Amino acid sequence: MKSLNLEARIGATLLVLLTLMALLAPWIAPGDPLAISGEAMLKPFVSEAHLLGTDRLGRDVLAGLVHGTRTTLLVAFFSAATALLVGSVVGTISGFLGGFADTVLMRITEAFQTVPGFLLALATISVTGPSIPTLILAISLGNWTQAARVTRAEVLSLRERDFVAAARTLGMRPMEIAFREILPNAFGPTASLAAISVATAILIEAALSFLGFGDPNRVTWGTMIAEGRTVLRAAPYLSIVPGIALVVTVLSVHLVGRGLSRKERLQS
Amino acid sequence: MTKAYLNVRNLNVSYGSTTAIKDVSLELAKGGRLALIGMSGSGKSTLAMAIAGLLPKQARINGAIEFESRTPKLGSDIGVLFQDASGSLDPVMKIGDQIAEVAMTHLGMGWISARVHAAELLDRVKIPKALSRLNSYPHEFSGGQKQRIALAAALAGNPSILIADEPTSALDTVIQRHIVDVLDELVKDGGLTLLFVTHDIALASERADEIAVLYKGDLVEMAPAGQLLKEPKHPYTKALIDTYVSLEKPRSRRLPEITLEWQ
Amino acid sequence: MPLLASFFLKRLITTIPVLFIVLVGSFLLLEAASGDAVDAYVARSGAMDAEQIAQLRNEWGLDKGPVHRFEAYISALAHGDLGWSTAFERPVTSVIAERLPVTLLLMSIATGSAFFAGSLLGVVAGARPGSWRDRILSTGSLAIYAVPGFWLGLVLIVIFAVDLRWLPIGGIESIASGKTGLARLGDIAVHLVLPVSALAMVYLALYLRLMRDRMAEIWRDPFVKGLEARGLTRRRIVWRHVARNAILPAITMLGWQSAAMLGGSVVVESVFSIPGFGRLAAEAVARRDTPLLLGVLLCSAVTVIIANLLVDLAYGKLDPRVRISR
Repeated sequence: MKSLNLEARIGATLLVLLTLMALLAPWIAPGDPLAISGEAMLKPFVSEAHLLGTDRLGRDVLAGLVHGTRTTLLVAFFSAATALLVGSVVGTISGFLGGFADTVLMRITEAFQTVPGFLLALATISVTGPSIPTLILAISLGNWTQAARVTRAEVLSLRERDFVAAARTLGMRPMEIAFREILPNAFGPTASLAAISVATAILIEAALSFLGFGDPNRVTWGTMIAEGRTVLRAAPYLSIVPGIALVVTVLSVHLVGRGLSRKERLQS
Repeated sequence: MTKAYLNVRNLNVSYGSTTAIKDVSLELAKGGRLALIGMSGSGKSTLAMAIAGLLPKQARINGAIEFESRTPKLGSDIGVLFQDASGSLDPVMKIGDQIAEVAMTHLGMGWISARVHAAELLDRVKIPKALSRLNSYPHEFSGGQKQRIALAAALAGNPSILIADEPTSALDTVIQRHIVDVLDELVKDGGLTLLFVTHDIALASERADEIAVLYKGDLVEMAPAGQLLKEPKHPYTKALIDTYVSLEKPRSRRLPEITLEWQ
Repeated sequence: MPLLASFFLKRLITTIPVLFIVLVGSFLLLEAASGDAVDAYVARSGAMDAEQIAQLRNEWGLDKGPVHRFEAYISALAHGDLGWSTAFERPVTSVIAERLPVTLLLMSIATGSAFFAGSLLGVVAGARPGSWRDRILSTGSLAIYAVPGFWLGLVLIVIFAVDLRWLPIGGIESIASGKTGLARLGDIAVHLVLPVSALAMVYLALYLRLMRDRMAEIWRDPFVKGLEARGLTRRRIVWRHVARNAILPAITMLGWQSAAMLGGSVVVESVFSIPGFGRLAAEAVARRDTPLLLGVLLCSAVTVIIANLLVDLAYGKLDPRVRISR
């Protein structure tokens, strides 16, 4: 933390605050955020009970924002983790085995890259129906290819190194070498993709719920923006405020990611 | 006595707390060939780059570097040739354009005449079929050819002095000789003044009129080449000549052994 | 140019297995969907007895196993038939053909302007890495990079369409304006300003960063010192050499960016009510139109493959080192 630059520290601080907000949501804004809590379409900073105002049904904007953090971070974290895990496993197998298996896996990776990630997520949701686990699955489907490519490249360069040769002479099985010796070493560059994966996941989740394909039982920033859109002329802030929350979250992820990758560059 | 073309007086160069050049003074006559020699870290390259005006910004420079012409300009008064040839050519620009742009910048030439000039220069540095190769890219040439193209580009602005920093160390001996021959020709026919940096005392003694020996940032000795080789004054110069001699002899004996190992 | 033709052919052949995997993958995905096209059709058209339903299944080849259905799909595809859209009650091909041009227009303008403006600003930032100009542009691009396109679209609508009333709020052209020729073109252009901006902004930031970061790397390349030693003007070194070298990775990005932008067009077209390919995807999902969705997936994969082929060709022209090695 200390070795990070100012930008990254700002980003990290914001992320910690957002995570706390997500964890403590039931205490910060008690009750159901989808319940009507007051007069409809209150402007922000007018009422003390509704600091950021209310939407067209009289639901509290701040409560929605706080609870929306949960959905956003939950989906983003798990889908990025899934994508990185799947990607690095595919990349390791592909790079380590080489030959036909490599060709097949890389063609599959290419096929996944060819279909726009957002369309893939949309199609998956249309099949599985929207819920948190399916959202995570749908988003990671279009998000793992980069990790696979990076890991594969890293594995290809690691494969020839001494410690792998040593493991071979020790009689370790190929897959054992791949996952116990190579994967952990190839994980560094792959992990620097984490920030990009998380940011992409946040944006896809927001876009899906904006279009109405998100989990209908949860508040998300995307649905709040979509809700506000229906009264865009009268109350533009209803769409603008949750959007700012999105921008701040994604930006802090990018700031941290940039700081981490710069740190890694300096160390290597 | 003709006025010196280049006059360096009490030059000091330092980076932070480390001193790279200590109180160096030297003179170079017009059309002369001066070799700066020393081990790596002796400051020979730093001295050459200081004279070229190409030291990084962090370098602190004290003392005077005076040319015959008051303020020399890179490209049109001073030509510079580096050790790594591919490192001085833009990989995605045609070599003809890279030479021509120097002529267009410094000689005010038009597009066509600059390319004719480029072809002439390529011919002078012995690139075969120069005119037809103007549209080739650097990667299409060998290392030695690239160094000659870099030389042509360095000369395209008609500079009066060429500063060459280990121009042949990255190349093998035969190609090295070709380039050195081209440099000799340029000095003889074109009136070029040459200052080159090398760690190879054989090359220096063969191709320079004068040799300046640098040791840990000090200019320990400077003398005409023959004289320096025959009666070195400074112990470091002696050591340098001795290592050269002792290295030269066993090498010829060692070679067959290596060939045996290959078989 | 036979060399170019053979290169093109080779690339084309490598895309065949990729396309096949896409085909199998999307087919499997949609096989997993509950209910088939007939269910959707019956749900829409109302009363139908079991016999009629069975007959329809038989007609559409849906009563056999998945392998048969796949075979039937492939053989229809070979004849250019993507199936029947249940939502539009028209062939999928005709629905897509109607919607694709608008999106391609939107995307090409957005890509062109993002690439042009982004790399131009990238050169301004990368001309002197670490300068205040660089810092402002780099930080700004990072901020823009975090802005979701659909939200930016709404903000632009609030500012330019609702408050200032300078630009139309949505659609691709004025309805029943009776405009023709240049007047119609101008009308479409006015309608495109906001959606193009919403779609392009993220990529502008992307190209800015890419260009700036690559330039910062190239400045450290020894050949730049060679150029300085030849006394070239700084302007020439920046534009003709450093920027020229740095543009290459940005060109490669263009191909994959087309995939991401196609995804982005779904939301942006929904925000601006543009009847394009992207909104069609959302409609296909919302109206459970499986054949249409399959067609959309395939079509976007083909679009991305073509975009990448074009980029490869352009790259071969711009990087002399590629020509020899292939």
